[in-house]
Amino acid sequence: MEETAAAAPAPSTGVTPPTPRPQPASFVPSRSLLEWRRRVKSEYMRLRQLKRLKKAEEVKTLFMSNRQKIEQQTNLLNSEWSKLRIQSIPLSTSGGALANKKMCTVEFGFPGFKAQAIAMRPLSTVAGIPFMYSWSPLQHNFMVEDETFLHNIPYMGDEVLEQDEAFLEELIDNYDGVHGDREGGFISDEIFKELVEALSQYSDHEEEEEEEEVTVKKDEERVMRRSAAEGSEENKAGAVTFIRRKRRSTAEVRDVSSSKKIPNEQIFTAIASMFPYKGTTEELKEKYKDLLEPPSPVKLPPLCTPNLDGPFAKSVQREQSLHSFHTLFCRRCFKYDCFLHPFHATPNVYKRKSKEIRMETEPCGVDCFLLQKGAKEFVDQNMLRSQRSRRRRRQQRPTSSTCAGPSGSPEEGKEGDSDHETTSSSEGNSRCQTPTKPHPGDEDGEQQACCVVQWSGAEESLFRVLHGTYFNNFCSIARLIGTKNCKEVYEFAVKEVLIHRVPLEDGGISPQKKKRKHRLWAKIQLKKDNSSNQVYNYQPCDHPDHPCDSSCPCVMTQNFCEKFCQCEHECQNRFPGCRCKTQCNTKQCPCYLAVRECDPDLCMTCGAADHWDSKAVSCKNCSIQRGLKKHLLLAPSDVAGWGTFIKEPVQKNEFISEYCGELISQDEADRRGRIYDKYMSSFLFNLNNVDFVVDATRKGNKIRFANHSVNPNCYAKVVMVNGDHRIGIFAKRAILQGEELFFDYRYSQADALKYVGIEREVDMA
Amino acid sequence: MPSARNSGHIMSGASCKANGAVYPASSAMMNSVKKPKMEQIQADHELFLQAFEKPTQIYRFLRTRNLIAPIFLHRTLTFMSHRNGRSNAKRKAFKVDDMLQTVEKMKGEQDSPSLSSHLQLTFTGFFHKDEKPSQNSENEQNSVSLEVLLVKVCHKKRKDVSCPVKQVPTGKKQVPLNPDSNQTKPGSYPSLLVSSNEFEPSNSHMVKSYSLLFRVSRTGRRDTNGLVNGEANENIDVTDTPSRKKRSLSHREEGETTETYVAQMTVFDKNRRLQLLDGEYEVSMQGMEDSPVSKKRATWETILDGKRLPPFETFSQGPTLQFTLRWTGDASGKSTAPVAKPLATRNSDSSSPMETRTSNHRTALMMKESVSTDIQTRKEQVPCEPRQKLRIFYQFLYNNNTRQQTEARDDLHCPWCTLNCSKLYSLLKHLKLSHSRFIFNYVPHPKGARIDVSINECYDGSYVGNPQDIHSQPGFAFSRNGPVKRTAVTHILVCRPKRTKPSLSEFLESDDGELEQQRTYVSGHNRLYFHSDSCMPLRPQEMEVDSEDERDPEWLREKTATQLDEFTDVNEGEKEVMKLWNLHVMKHGFIADNQMNQAIMLFVENRGAHIIRRNLCRNFLLHLVSMHDFNLVSTATIDRAMARLRQIQEELPDIEEDQQDQTLVSAAACNGNAVTSSGGKQGKRTKSALTD
Repeated sequence: MEETAAAAPAPSTGVTPPTPRPQPASFVPSRSLLEWRRRVKSEYMRLRQLKRLKKAEEVKTLFMSNRQKIEQQTNLLNSEWSKLRIQSIPLSTSGGALANKKMCTVEFGFPGFKAQAIAMRPLSTVAGIPFMYSWSPLQHNFMVEDETFLHNIPYMGDEVLEQDEAFLEELIDNYDGVHGDREGGFISDEIFKELVEALSQYSDHEEEEEEEEVTVKKDEERVMRRSAAEGSEENKAGAVTFIRRKRRSTAEVRDVSSSKKIPNEQIFTAIASMFPYKGTTEELKEKYKDLLEPPSPVKLPPLCTPNLDGPFAKSVQREQSLHSFHTLFCRRCFKYDCFLHPFHATPNVYKRKSKEIRMETEPCGVDCFLLQKGAKEFVDQNMLRSQRSRRRRRQQRPTSSTCAGPSGSPEEGKEGDSDHETTSSSEGNSRCQTPTKPHPGDEDGEQQACCVVQWSGAEESLFRVLHGTYFNNFCSIARLIGTKNCKEVYEFAVKEVLIHRVPLEDGGISPQKKKRKHRLWAKIQLKKDNSSNQVYNYQPCDHPDHPCDSSCPCVMTQNFCEKFCQCEHECQNRFPGCRCKTQCNTKQCPCYLAVRECDPDLCMTCGAADHWDSKAVSCKNCSIQRGLKKHLLLAPSDVAGWGTFIKEPVQKNEFISEYCGELISQDEADRRGRIYDKYMSSFLFNLNNVDFVVDATRKGNKIRFANHSVNPNCYAKVVMVNGDHRIGIFAKRAILQGEELFFDYRYSQADALKYVGIEREVDMA
Repeated sequence: MPSARNSGHIMSGASCKANGAVYPASSAMMNSVKKPKMEQIQADHELFLQAFEKPTQIYRFLRTRNLIAPIFLHRTLTFMSHRNGRSNAKRKAFKVDDMLQTVEKMKGEQDSPSLSSHLQLTFTGFFHKDEKPSQNSENEQNSVSLEVLLVKVCHKKRKDVSCPVKQVPTGKKQVPLNPDSNQTKPGSYPSLLVSSNEFEPSNSHMVKSYSLLFRVSRTGRRDTNGLVNGEANENIDVTDTPSRKKRSLSHREEGETTETYVAQMTVFDKNRRLQLLDGEYEVSMQGMEDSPVSKKRATWETILDGKRLPPFETFSQGPTLQFTLRWTGDASGKSTAPVAKPLATRNSDSSSPMETRTSNHRTALMMKESVSTDIQTRKEQVPCEPRQKLRIFYQFLYNNNTRQQTEARDDLHCPWCTLNCSKLYSLLKHLKLSHSRFIFNYVPHPKGARIDVSINECYDGSYVGNPQDIHSQPGFAFSRNGPVKRTAVTHILVCRPKRTKPSLSEFLESDDGELEQQRTYVSGHNRLYFHSDSCMPLRPQEMEVDSEDERDPEWLREKTATQLDEFTDVNEGEKEVMKLWNLHVMKHGFIADNQMNQAIMLFVENRGAHIIRRNLCRNFLLHLVSMHDFNLVSTATIDRAMARLRQIQEELPDIEEDQQDQTLVSAAACNGNAVTSSGGKQGKRTKSALTD
């Protein structure tokens, strides 16, 4: 860093046109640098002071708004209470001839006031309850990232820390740092920008620049400030501590549109020397330029498209339109940006299981494009191509489901069309305030036989999206777009297809299904023998070029391939599911044998795929996924602290509840475990030995209060549930209602669990 | 009388208990023990007290409390069912409407006997069966003279020593002696009218109660055989009101040649409740010669042998006075008041049953068709049942089981709470269940039973009832102000468990696990539960629903929204649809691919209107296509979902036309910062710029 400071004056030829005469650096370098450093320091302090004030202000307003919320809630509750009919407490109970007729007297020092006395009425005692740290309820595991920064130093009474001073040091050593430590030397982008801005005023004064520019710049700055937070992420060189994923795509190209006024070189030099870890002078300057870049009002990251329903929707490719949906959707949870799986596979590699695209041969109405000359040929030609690839096409679906016959819905469709036509045009009018057409330029290009049809960006995008799914079913596409009829769609398609060829994938040619049941048994057995309690996390495999062999991650981790894998359906490593007709609660069921829950998409006969609405499922091996837990109750334990109690009686081996919590890495578990051991209470539970641990400390469900016992009435079992390992708590024997639940925290001696501190020590010894 | 005897039983039981438990030295078995040295006895006694005094005191206190404010009734317990005098025979014919009728009837009765009506008495005759009518029928008068006095007992004033009593003569009549009811015409009976204004409050004294005093005097014959001695004695025992004394004294003098019989009936009791309703009455009279037993010598005693005359003998032999009582609106009119309904009387009296009873005694009055006598006779029979010579020896074990003392008893009252259990089984069961501070073991004994009593060391005072009873209204469960609603829920328990036949063998000392057995172990929800989120006690009405088992707790819903909002390169429309969808999935917990078609349709149903209002249709379509790309839904579902959406859209016409601007605004809002920063007019430019 020292050399950069020294070398800073050298590249003074940087693109700094607005600074008219960059000072010769060699000329009194130390004095001016010192001077600048002093300024940097004072300015920095001032800015930080401002920041602190602002922050305090923010905290205050937040506090006030929270208070308001609470007050509203209280008022709501109060009004509810006032409506409640409550039996009043007969007062005579305490006012009787009981001994507690004590008087409470208030005496005044002044002679003018009389002493006041009133009978004391003691309130009845309320039994205390055990201590509980707050936690958030959860019914499904929740993956969190490692915390490399210690957010707070745990408080566990002064005695503990006095006794074990080394503990804290060790604890801090485990982390990369403690939150808030670096604040003294920390310089955020915002501060940096403001700092440069403030310092440039000095240089302006020195060099007698026009005041105007400063003000202009200030205006710009104000605009920029808004976007500063946005762009901050990538630019933070060393101290990126914040959210990992603020962006879908990390690649961000920033075009340096126009170099604006870049202040004096010396400023950067001074800053660089003050905050060496922020980078060299050059880097700082580049960064400042970046920050200065005028944020275009609707500038969006490259893969972000404007809202398709908004007024700025534009015509983009299919992949772009669907990019957000494709990338954020979790195929395993059916949710966008799910809580459990950090990596989502994109669908473009998924193969169609069933080729259900069929061509419409019947025109949808009198105005249908199919009646047009040449249309049929166009469609057929395209269809031929697609048919080639779809040898195993499914049967024709009943016509009623998709396209209505010629007699069916032409009126309705037309009505809808015209309706939308008018609304969209009126929308356009009100939007742009001028009668000009949205696409005047396209008119000549789109000039077709019938009439001029304007396609808005949204419609074009939508067409491309739908064309990728419906191919040449223009009637369907038109119906879905809503604002265009099939003839217009067809015409647009004709033009479009010349430009964009719709890539059609080759459908998989399915080989005959082999009987491989006996092999399955052998495989399960093998896995059981080999694994020796080694359970590895499952990741869907994705290796398109070769089948699942010894290099497949699923095979390597001794997991079966699941429906989420990208491999062939006929992959040898796939678990085929069971064909049980019973309850799947014996080892006769391959799923049960393999410690898996029945997969509702694989096991079609046992009932795991039926009765979604009722709790009565014939398959007893799908309780975790369905959340068929028992009603649990919380009360002070008969043993220690809180305990979990069951409301209704259960039979042996019945599922009671899933042990839910945060899914954390082993490293994180080690770090947290150290603190938990000190607290003498731990909710850590090893899920699969190399990868993840379930920690119910911060988030969990009521079963987390179940205590440990060497003679328990429950047992824990890690079950593979649709690709996720989950911990099920089952009844070890018949349990009566109201019984407290216990399970052996060391349910498998070797490895499975990190139990509470006391017991671990015993075990070690 | 019978009831008095009953209470006498209880009293004697109580005293016995005190003797037996606390001072066992006086017990029968002790006599057999050779008299040890004085200090040894004392030390032993000390030890005994140490062991048994505290629990006994506690149970004595509980007994008293339970008498004052019963928490439950013993007769409702299965093993005490014989204490329940009521049969369920009427239940079969019971209708809910009957309750209303009963109440209405009762109301009507209570209202009607107003003070404006006169009391009309029609005397049928005076019956005295010990006459020998054949012998001296000719010189006998066939009528007696009857004097009716209205006795007003007034409120005591400060200067008065006793309550002032005023006697107002209402008339004298000749009443036929031993008339034959078949011969005499009903109209010819002498009758008497007590004016209504007699019952009006007089000026000088506030009248507490009114009663009728009948005085029958027969002249010309003197009979000192004192046949009615027994009754008189007993009755006077109970009645020690000053008025009575005064009266008897005053009549002692005149009784030389005339025999005088008296009887008194309360018309209004001191709470001004009417005691005499319309009906036929037969009053047993008492001779005046008998010397009343003084108050000092009066004792409670149980009549065990049937030597004394039962009360109803009086009515077969006399002397009795029969009359018909009627409340009439005017002097000659018909009765306005309803006929006497003993049930009604009893009900209205229920708050002070003791008082009614005493008043009954005083007059030795029996109504002819009285049901109350029925009840009384039944009560009489209860203590008679276990009249075998059963002896129960309580053997108290203390001081390391080495020392023991026993006490013999021959009734089945609980020594601690004096409850008459009537049966040995019930007694043992009661002891076990109600006095768990002790351990009771039953040992068969040739003369009856031996019960070993020792201290239950395992007793920890834990409450085994429903903890909500205690918690929901602290300090209320045992309110003295009568019944209190304790819980907000009512449990209807319909349970007919298979009960094992009661057998004494269950009380025999078991060989193993004695301590285990004594632990108060009750399965079920015998504790107070708490909400896991707030640590607030779970109220009984919240028991059934698991309020903390949501698949989508609020924080998680918020979390998914904020997490999506963090994306900078996902546009607002996409975010909105994604959030809606996530909430939908979280709410319904979809787990299978094959649920997706259904899930989409449900989504449209639930959220369709919202999607349209927020102008998100195209984004929703994108979502559908994306789902299709993931091979989760079929194109048929896309078609159907969109068709349904259109349909919903058409069902919301006002959104379509009237709120055009609204949609635009919301659309703009959807587009988020892009619009807000552009400021409208720049929109076009940037769009074209971005098209490039």
